[in-house]
Amino acid sequence: MSDTDSREQASQRTPNASTEQTDFGFQQVEKSQKASLVANVFDSVAAKYDVMNDLMSFGVHRLWKRYTIDCAGVRAGHKVLDIAGGTGDLTAKFSRLVGPTGSVTLADINLSMLKVGRDKLRDQGLVNNIDYVQADAEALPFPDNSFDVVTMAFGLRNVTEKQNALNSIYRVLKPGGRLLVLEFSKPASEHLSKIYDMYSFHILPRMGQVVANDADSYRYLAESIRMHPDQETLKGMFESAGFEQCDYTNLTGGIVALHRGYKF
Amino acid sequence: MPASSLFTASAEALINKVIALDEDSEKRLALLNGKRLTVFLDGFPWGVTLAFSSKVDILLEHHPYEDVSVHVDENTCYIKTHFDVLPRLTQTSQITQLIREGKLHLQGEPGIAQQVAALFQQLDIDWEEQLSTYTGDVPAHQIFSSASAVKAQVLAFSERLTRGLSNAITEEKDIAVGKLAVMHFNDEVDALRDDAQRFEARLRLLENSL
Repeated sequence: MSDTDSREQASQRTPNASTEQTDFGFQQVEKSQKASLVANVFDSVAAKYDVMNDLMSFGVHRLWKRYTIDCAGVRAGHKVLDIAGGTGDLTAKFSRLVGPTGSVTLADINLSMLKVGRDKLRDQGLVNNIDYVQADAEALPFPDNSFDVVTMAFGLRNVTEKQNALNSIYRVLKPGGRLLVLEFSKPASEHLSKIYDMYSFHILPRMGQVVANDADSYRYLAESIRMHPDQETLKGMFESAGFEQCDYTNLTGGIVALHRGYKF
Repeated sequence: MPASSLFTASAEALINKVIALDEDSEKRLALLNGKRLTVFLDGFPWGVTLAFSSKVDILLEHHPYEDVSVHVDENTCYIKTHFDVLPRLTQTSQITQLIREGKLHLQGEPGIAQQVAALFQQLDIDWEEQLSTYTGDVPAHQIFSSASAVKAQVLAFSERLTRGLSNAITEEKDIAVGKLAVMHFNDEVDALRDDAQRFEARLRLLENSL
């Protein structure tokens, strides 16, 4: 299947593709508004992002990210793109793994997050092989076939047209390269789902209020997770973009899933 | 999954903390910069990769040894072996023999494995110094002096106990035989086996001559 065919097929399958509305949490907003609304959320939480991640997930987000790095198969000399890399958790490790002969590009649409990430990585002494790019995942500003590995951790659900982002990633991946998307998903068990709902809609916003003085952003977080495609739907979107050997692994009972696809 | 990731995260934090306690280890770590050692142990579902840079990163290898060891270059070393063989890998002279015996599969640069072993074996940490940063010099010195004295007493007691028990069961109670008696018995068994083998060889000669 050619790139063009993949993208055409993908746009047909994208939810809301024919309408001018899209979801922002549980609200329906104009597509043109979503990016700025999401930007407001992340401008608000950027300074406390790492602390809140640790609090909200009880530190488990670090293990999910570690598993993603294990599955990335990054080697010395690889070129890695970390989209929506936020505060640079994945980039820091990739930077050491690719070594001086490789490079890591930390891309994020949000300048506040990018600045926090850049400062954090520089404080760790990681300066030589990392580029910082403010970029929209739907229109990545890189040449075709540029990267060996692309990762996106907890970023895809904030993208307005997710299928466009997957198509764009497919374009910039080298043949033989792989994409890993770590994202909240649908819990596999009904009981876990109920507990998870109670936690995310009642406790999470209150934690956001206490720690970051911002309950609305964390309410959006919980809502956006529910609106995100489930495991099988996202796998189908990978395949529509042209990825092959697509699979996913449920982590912590499906609260989070790691999707993986290859470009051949 | 999170359990295995938790294990590697804990191991990584511990290893880097311990290495940082020995200033000289920085030089040995610098020798390994950019290199990787991947170890697969029989009976374990994953391989473990140690990736060296300014620190040690630990990764889990989810693919089998046969698949990953094809990505071999001068900066990588893949090892597949049994857990009990690991200590023998530090002796260069044994590596060829272990490979011949099929107890060790190795791809890549074996020197990396030896450099990694050296990194950890040559760790020289002044634990008293480390403790003193939390407790002060005098308490740290007293704690370590007391610990040394206790250790010496425990060792002496253990030695006395072993000797006493040995005497009791061999001399007084006559439950077990002494060391010399065991050695004599072993010699007698060896002599009997040699006699039997000679006798067997002689019989075979006689059979062939008939």
